[in-house]
Amino acid sequence: MASVLFDHVWKRFGDFAALKDFHLDIEDKEFLVLVGPSGCGKSTALRLLAGLESVTEGSIFIGEERINDTPPRDRDIAMVFQSYALYPHMTIKDNIGFGLRLRKVPRQEVERRVSDAAVILGVEGLLDRKPGQLSGGQRQRIAVARAIVREPRVFLLDEPLSNLDAKLRVNTRAEISKLHKRLGTTFIYVTHDQTEAMTMATRIAVMDAGIIQQVGTPQQLYDHPANTFVAGFIGSPAMNFFSALVTESEGHLELRGDTYSVRVPLDRAGEIRQFKDRELLFGIRPENIHDQEFVPRGVNAVPIEVVVDVTELMGNEVFLHLLAGENKLLARVDPRTGLRAGARTEVLMDLERLHVFDPATTAVLVSASDA
Amino acid sequence: MKKRALRIAASPWLYLAPALTLLSVFLLYPVTNTIYLSFFDRSSTTFVGIDNYVYLASHPETIIVLRNNLMWLVLFTGTTVTLGLLLAVLTNQVRYEAAAKAIVFVPMAVSFTAAAVIWRFMYIYQPVEFAQTGVVNALLGLVGLDPVAWITNKSVNNLALIASGVWMWTGFALVVISAGLKGIPTEVIEAARVDGASETQIFWYVLLPMLRSVVLVVAVTLVINSLKVFDLVYVMTFGNYDTDVLANRMFKEMFTFGNFGRASAVAVVLLLAIVPLMLLNIRRFRREQ
Amino acid sequence: MAVNEHADPARTHLETPAERIVRRLSRGPLHAVIIAVCLAWMTPTAGLFISSFRTKADIATTGWWTALVPPLQFTLDNYDHVLTARGMGRSFINSLLISVPATMLTILVAALAAYAFSWIEFRGREALFLLVVALLVVPIQLTLIPVLRMFANFGMTGSFPAIWLAHTAYGLPFAVFLLRNFFVALPKDLLESAFLEGASHFVAFTRIVMPLSVPAVAALGIFQFLWLWNDLLVALVYLGGFRDVAPMTVAISSLVSSFGSEWHLLTAAAFVSMVLPLVVFFALQKYFVEGILAGAVKG
Ligand SMILES: Nc1ncnc2c1ncn2[C@@H]1O[C@H](COP(=O)(O)OP(=O)(O)OP(=O)(O)O)[C@@H](O)[C@H]1O
Ligand SMILES: [Mg+2]
Repeated sequence: MASVLFDHVWKRFGDFAALKDFHLDIEDKEFLVLVGPSGCGKSTALRLLAGLESVTEGSIFIGEERINDTPPRDRDIAMVFQSYALYPHMTIKDNIGFGLRLRKVPRQEVERRVSDAAVILGVEGLLDRKPGQLSGGQRQRIAVARAIVREPRVFLLDEPLSNLDAKLRVNTRAEISKLHKRLGTTFIYVTHDQTEAMTMATRIAVMDAGIIQQVGTPQQLYDHPANTFVAGFIGSPAMNFFSALVTESEGHLELRGDTYSVRVPLDRAGEIRQFKDRELLFGIRPENIHDQEFVPRGVNAVPIEVVVDVTELMGNEVFLHLLAGENKLLARVDPRTGLRAGARTEVLMDLERLHVFDPATTAVLVSASDA
Repeated sequence: MKKRALRIAASPWLYLAPALTLLSVFLLYPVTNTIYLSFFDRSSTTFVGIDNYVYLASHPETIIVLRNNLMWLVLFTGTTVTLGLLLAVLTNQVRYEAAAKAIVFVPMAVSFTAAAVIWRFMYIYQPVEFAQTGVVNALLGLVGLDPVAWITNKSVNNLALIASGVWMWTGFALVVISAGLKGIPTEVIEAARVDGASETQIFWYVLLPMLRSVVLVVAVTLVINSLKVFDLVYVMTFGNYDTDVLANRMFKEMFTFGNFGRASAVAVVLLLAIVPLMLLNIRRFRREQ
Repeated sequence: MAVNEHADPARTHLETPAERIVRRLSRGPLHAVIIAVCLAWMTPTAGLFISSFRTKADIATTGWWTALVPPLQFTLDNYDHVLTARGMGRSFINSLLISVPATMLTILVAALAAYAFSWIEFRGREALFLLVVALLVVPIQLTLIPVLRMFANFGMTGSFPAIWLAHTAYGLPFAVFLLRNFFVALPKDLLESAFLEGASHFVAFTRIVMPLSVPAVAALGIFQFLWLWNDLLVALVYLGGFRDVAPMTVAISSLVSSFGSEWHLLTAAAFVSMVLPLVVFFALQKYFVEGILAGAVKG
């Protein structure tokens, strides 16, 4: 039905390639989130699908149909723009119903569907106003209402929450997820906010510089990032990286950095031993570094000597900025921690959750073990 | 703090004085004075009541003058706005937009006087048996039509004059409307495209309504210009051959016939025609605030 | 999934040359219309330009387009004649002496007023500004007689200061309107922080508002200059019969009436009068558009 396929798509603006061999297969009813840093080509991908830009090379399919040359109006797609792009001269009612009226839907039917959409988004009271008389959050809802009213095959949202304040953003996030379940339409959602991606997506595609880095469920990306980019992008605060030499002494495997070394626990030594005598890049998430006093039960962690540089109290947790020699590490620890800036101490690293990357290619060599 | 507020309150008149003085001396006072003079005789010495207006109303030429101004108002404004709008939308889609706009705008930088010369030159008429030296008639000859005496032929000369006005002002309409067009966020147009609008529908339902106020500004400017039109007529025909307009008529009454009373009366008629526009201008401005 | 069948790389799409030509051709009518209009708009001026290099006899007997095919026979005589014998050189200078000072005066007076209208709070500000906006549409013709009499009373008829003041006054409604629209749109924080630091209005005006308004001021300057340069009516009336102060427009229009048949001189004269405005326009085109934007297309 409304599956979407980007088939090795290239998009060039002059000499600059905004999308490079972009290949993405999106199934019907999926909530696919495209994430990546600013300028990586997310909007470009959406705009190609909507027909607002032309494909340079490759094909795009909706269902079975190749739509490269189909004009936007025949694609049966709806889009929520980052700026909402409401028609300033029309009332809200006309804004929502514009697409239906263009399709010559009978008046009464338009009325009915507009008011249905308005009810779903809780904007019944605003129908006779003009966009200029609405708040940012209200405009955002109207933009969504305008998109859902047409019951499109595919629903595109380009950073729809970026203009909202933090609280409204959290609420609206949940509402859009509900809307997706309710409508059962394919959603493609663009954001550069990894939290939005993690909380809403059925699958996430991580992009960088016009290239898809990895596609998978939020859990897959979190547990098994394919390279350092994805590892650093997914998860907040970001994963710590440090480079170290894999050495073996007295039967123990050790990761030796310039001013520190940690011993690899036995149950992971098997996977890592193959890289003996190589300098590798290791990744560990902040939540896998613990204060000695508050190690969760069942965690088998190894000590590393550090100096506490800065502490940040977040309420339900504390971020510790640590220095292991020259290397910076961020730890996310229990709020009851007694560690203060300047303290010289040992923290515990849960090497069960260690990721190993090839420094040359940045690709993953060993992922965290699934516990 | 208090002291500064006081000083600030005292100063606006310092800044306004030069402007207000000039406006009073050269616009406000003369306007009232002209209204007053229109009730006096040719040398402004004897009060004659509404005689000047009666004269105007009874003079057959007046009807022609008013008709001509009306023609200017409707045809000049209508054609110029339409052309400007059309060209703005069309040039917006091509890469040589800047060049095309500059070409159409050039006549704006030309004086009415030079434009009048240019167009008299375009309209030169030679009897059929001679080679045509004016472009317009030469083109007519190309398609097998007889040449037309554009300046003296009373059934076409007003149109010919108006065409030269359109030539001059389309650039203005184009540049302003095009600037308005650029002010429309592309996302809104794209939203319409995704909503299913064809390019024509986008023009009628999105672009045009959003350009409304810009088009209105252009139209009001052009209407005022059409009522005040002087130079083109003065240089091209001096109002002869039934092409006279109010402004030129007034000039003639004043300088050719030396009748200040009648000249003032013509000016007042012009003012009366413009008052509604003045009100419209004020209303629009108030709304925008 | 069936879709995978399309994923065959051999079928990925690249625009073929034929397709590209079709795409270009479909835009043919668009280009045709634009180019036709451009040609139509250039023809009159081009004709004038070419004719100005032709002899009297040629102009009278053949169309200017015939001069474009060899043998080419162009002459500079017309320009020579116009610039020297007909006193056009003098009137070119006069045009400058009229337009430049009057333009500067307009900008100065209008900027002061626009500043008061946008940044100084006072009672009746809106009403006063509305009055200025209303004056935008007053026909100049209405003011000619009283002003002319006034000039006569002060013995100013035919003098440059008289016409400077008149031009400034006539230009003010538009100038104040345009500049005020630009001034009020300046960031409020900027001026408020200046006031908090103890700046007076004069300092705010000269150090902040004016430097930031260069585009609007430049646009206004160009507009006003072109209008003054091109003005016939005001010059004709207030400078009247005084030949030694007559600007180009007046000189040309008297050429038209007295030498109606001497096309060769007219064409050259008209072209001389166009040169400066065209240069100004093309040199400062960028400001022009920005300025119109500021004045006419608000928000
Ligand atoms: N019309 C265009 N012409 C030239 N380059 C363009 C054009 N549109 C986009 N680009 C470039 O393509 C790249 C991708 O742009 P895109 O808008 O897709 O980024 P994005 O991932 O949506 O970023 P953001 O999160 O900031 O919205 C950018 O480097 C941008 O400069
Ligand atoms: Mg984007």
